Amino acid sequence: MAYTYSKIATYTVGSGGVASISFLNIPQTYTDLIVSISARSTFSDNGVSLRTSFNNDTGNITVRELRGSGSAAASYSITYGQTGYLTAGLDTANTFGSASIYIPNYTSSNYKSSSADVVSENNATAAWAVLSARLWSSTSPITTITLAPADGNWAQYSSAHLYGIKAEL
Amino acid sequence: MASISLKYKSKQGSLTAPGDVDPGAMIPIATTTLSTATATVTFSSIPQEYEHLQIRMITRSTNTASTGGDWVFIRFNGDTGSNYTWHRLYGSGASGSADAATSQTSTRVGVSPRDGTTASAYGAGVCDILDYTNTNKYTTQRSLVGNDRNGSGEIVLYSGLWLNTNAITTITLLPEQDNFKQYSSFALYGIKRAGA
Repeated sequence: MAYTYSKIATYTVGSGGVASISFLNIPQTYTDLIVSISARSTFSDNGVSLRTSFNNDTGNITVRELRGSGSAAASYSITYGQTGYLTAGLDTANTFGSASIYIPNYTSSNYKSSSADVVSENNATAAWAVLSARLWSSTSPITTITLAPADGNWAQYSSAHLYGIKAEL
Repeated sequence: MASISLKYKSKQGSLTAPGDVDPGAMIPIATTTLSTATATVTFSSIPQEYEHLQIRMITRSTNTASTGGDWVFIRFNGDTGSNYTWHRLYGSGASGSADAATSQTSTRVGVSPRDGTTASAYGAGVCDILDYTNTNKYTTQRSLVGNDRNGSGEIVLYSGLWLNTNAITTITLLPEQDNFKQYSSFALYGIKRAGA
């Protein structure tokens, strides 16, 4: 296998939780990025919105989302940094949502498109499954990625992982 | 049943020998392509040194029906109890829907064209299992799968929950009914932890 998929950074939440996870000073030497997330919010609800921002810019974001609730599906247009839903405090204990965010051409001088598949999981009918496509209307290369729950903190044992994909040129 | 021996492990320590190239963060652990119809595929003795697992598969069912697909089920560590949940976001090409089931004896990670549908068409899928050795977490799997049968088909985002905190050492894949058809293929990858 070619040396094209590289580990960059991992963060695992300790006791007490954290409000957000940020990857700073992202190397500009890859072609694409992948963020893998296994996380749960302390917020007292079934599911929590995952908010993703680049370079600390929480604006300039538009999103198309296909969302399943466990019993129905619908599609939405969103103008803030929602990237699906992860597990939260009223969901089954010890259960963590799972997400993968794909960010191609993150160093380019074009606007940045990305896609994500995100699930919340819960031992009940109600749980979120989301396919998301988003546009960050900025020509700046991505140097920082921030992952935050819309409410509450990331619970202990939540983890986020950043990988770089290098094209064979 | 096909049981697959593990051929590769992550390279540890310094690279010293000429040609001793770091293979990156995504390491092939085991692959099988079925030479005959097979009821179950099992990855056993899964190494515990990775952060995540990923399964990539193409599948077709031997069920001879001329319409529809069969789901691909997954079990962990040989647990056949009613300890699994799944959630599904489904698109048929004409509409979308979502559903779920609890207290299942497996969760779901794929869909296979039945053998009476368009010949030689296989379903494709990628399943991610994050933090598979973390004993503070129940296991969540997330799978993006689908197939097109030249006139029908489906695309599905599955999630599944195994209500158990044990580290995953064995993965078993099985078809909804009958067997996986010859040439169905399953590859297991380990994704390294950053800094490993």
